[in-house]
Amino acid sequence: MGFSANGKQCLLPEEALYLMECGNLQVFHQDLPLSIQDGYEKFLSANTVSLQQYQVFGHLKRLGYVVLRFDPSSESSSYARQLNLPQSRDRAGRQLKRKRSLSPAPSSTPTATCSRAEAQEECSTEKMEEDKCSEGEEDIKLPEPPEAQSSADEGGGRSWWMMDVLGDSDKDSGHGSKSGSSCWDFSSISFPDLGSTSREHFPSDLAPPDPSLLPGDLKVGFCDIAPWRQKINLRQVKMSANEQKREKYRRRWDVNKNREVRRCRNWAEYQELMARRKGKREGRPAHLWNREVTPLHDPTQPIATGELLEKISVIKPTHLLEGASRLKDADDWRICFNVYQPNTVADFKKSNPGKPYSRMCVCSFDDPVPDLRAIKLLAYQSGDIPVVIAVVDYGDISFYTFKDFQLPTDVYP
Amino acid sequence: MEALSCGERRLGSEEEYAAPAVGVSLCDSAPLVWRMQDLRAVRAEGLVGALLGSLPRTPRQNGRLGRPLLLLPEEEGLLRERRAAAALPDRCQDWGGAELRQKHEEEEKRSFEEQSVLALEDRKLALLRAMTGAESGATSADEALRRRLQALDQNFTFPQSAMAVQLSTARAGLSYCPEARAFLQAYGPPGAEPRCDARYQVFRDLRGRGFYLTSAGKFGGDFLVYPGDPLRFHAHFIAVCVSLDESVCLLDVLAVARLGSNVKKTVLLCSPGPDARVCYTSLQWSGMI
Repeated sequence: MGFSANGKQCLLPEEALYLMECGNLQVFHQDLPLSIQDGYEKFLSANTVSLQQYQVFGHLKRLGYVVLRFDPSSESSSYARQLNLPQSRDRAGRQLKRKRSLSPAPSSTPTATCSRAEAQEECSTEKMEEDKCSEGEEDIKLPEPPEAQSSADEGGGRSWWMMDVLGDSDKDSGHGSKSGSSCWDFSSISFPDLGSTSREHFPSDLAPPDPSLLPGDLKVGFCDIAPWRQKINLRQVKMSANEQKREKYRRRWDVNKNREVRRCRNWAEYQELMARRKGKREGRPAHLWNREVTPLHDPTQPIATGELLEKISVIKPTHLLEGASRLKDADDWRICFNVYQPNTVADFKKSNPGKPYSRMCVCSFDDPVPDLRAIKLLAYQSGDIPVVIAVVDYGDISFYTFKDFQLPTDVYP
Repeated sequence: MEALSCGERRLGSEEEYAAPAVGVSLCDSAPLVWRMQDLRAVRAEGLVGALLGSLPRTPRQNGRLGRPLLLLPEEEGLLRERRAAAALPDRCQDWGGAELRQKHEEEEKRSFEEQSVLALEDRKLALLRAMTGAESGATSADEALRRRLQALDQNFTFPQSAMAVQLSTARAGLSYCPEARAFLQAYGPPGAEPRCDARYQVFRDLRGRGFYLTSAGKFGGDFLVYPGDPLRFHAHFIAVCVSLDESVCLLDVLAVARLGSNVKKTVLLCSPGPDARVCYTSLQWSGMI
């Protein structure tokens, strides 16, 4: 308590009044001692210390705190505090650590990248399954052209090219060869299946084909199939039960069985359907990416979760001191006191008080609630020490404080 | 403010004649009551007020506070209406004048003499107690004590710095400036209009019904309503003053109902109506069981 000025020990009016109330001080004015009532009436006014502020002062002093007046000019700027106080260094260190944890982590494991790369290949899903399941097998070569597989499976032929066939099988070969417009009926011509593994279709040699099918005077004799068959790999593929099931489904797959395909009336629509499917598969549907307004982020590009959240966020988080330095001083909200913890708890010396425990701002319940502007101003004036608002209600004092709070983001990079 | 002195005891010596008007003095535009008889009169009127100062016996605690008593503006208005409040002069007349200083010095001297007599008696008693404590015959220490006792009467001095002084709480208690028995003129012109705002109307009506009211800022309302003296009862109601033509947001009603139910008090929505009647609506949280 008290200060020295001009070589004399002086007391502030609220301190003098408090000591008078405790019975430790007698104040004389013109050689006559003052009563407490005189003290109240002379020391407390709206210009110096108001009655409400004195109530808060007395309340805190009776609890044991050290309460000093707040002097805004004696507060160091935030930059000066950064240079001197060790606490601010810790906070900077903590901020750095937080920044480091937000940076994107090194990318995923090799298997994950491998599977993503495979997904980007232009192959049908069934082929991908086959690739995976055949890793142990040397028999199947990757990738096999789909046409060869499908032709090997065909029992009956596809019918769409048959629509172009106009000719009938009864045509005389003599007529047909000259005219050129005669098409052959491929369903009646037997093409031998040399790759067939079933025994009954296995003749030792082939009969010569119908001379009408051959051009000119070409004469073909019997053909020995054996050396040809040796060149063909006819070993049975060893498949597990799963693989056999998958084989069965694949044999039955027909692109024309798909309802969407059947809905296409011409090639252009079918190509559109293929493009749509490709876009969906790859994550870049055409109807989203072909316009002026495109999605914020291409899902095929890798990005850390934290960065993605920041990219799509509409409301950016802000902290209390943002923009506070630009605010001009307001008259109504002022910090009155610095409150320090007593010497038993913290080191308090009049020459070196240290950091206050909190700063007090006094108002009453009739006053309006402080708006964001007032709170920002008070927080800026106070620096890093919380501002407590003491609301005086005719004898009761309630303390309120506003704390800065950042919503946690559930991101584990 | 009474320092612990062995001499003076401040009894209610002003009890002989209760002034008809309560002395109210303004401090920073707040009405404060300082004199003991005034505080008793205010309580007798059924007005509670709030004590602000340190309690003289135990100054360093916040549980029980002492004078001055702060009056609510509604309480002051009620006193004014009943012609029962008077403004105390804000300074002793002729402060710093020679007469007052002389009075003060005389008072000090008288007190000093009283205290020195009492101090001498105290010291003698202490020595006697020390002597009678050693009952086993006349030892040498006993002899020394008896000699000291005899010497005491001659050369005992009571130093000035050891004197206890009294700090008076009210200006009326100052020894040189007694206002205790001042007859005060109640203020306010005759037939003054009572205040017509909602809070005052509600306060007057509830007080008229015998309830005691205090301020309820920390409960989110205007007044706390007690069925009797607050020292004997808990509050039953939280009164919130709303004017009849004001529309209230439902969320505010819910908020105040929640507050009230959390502290087990009924919320009273009070609206002063025409011809000085007040309309009350109570909110109580009832669970669906």
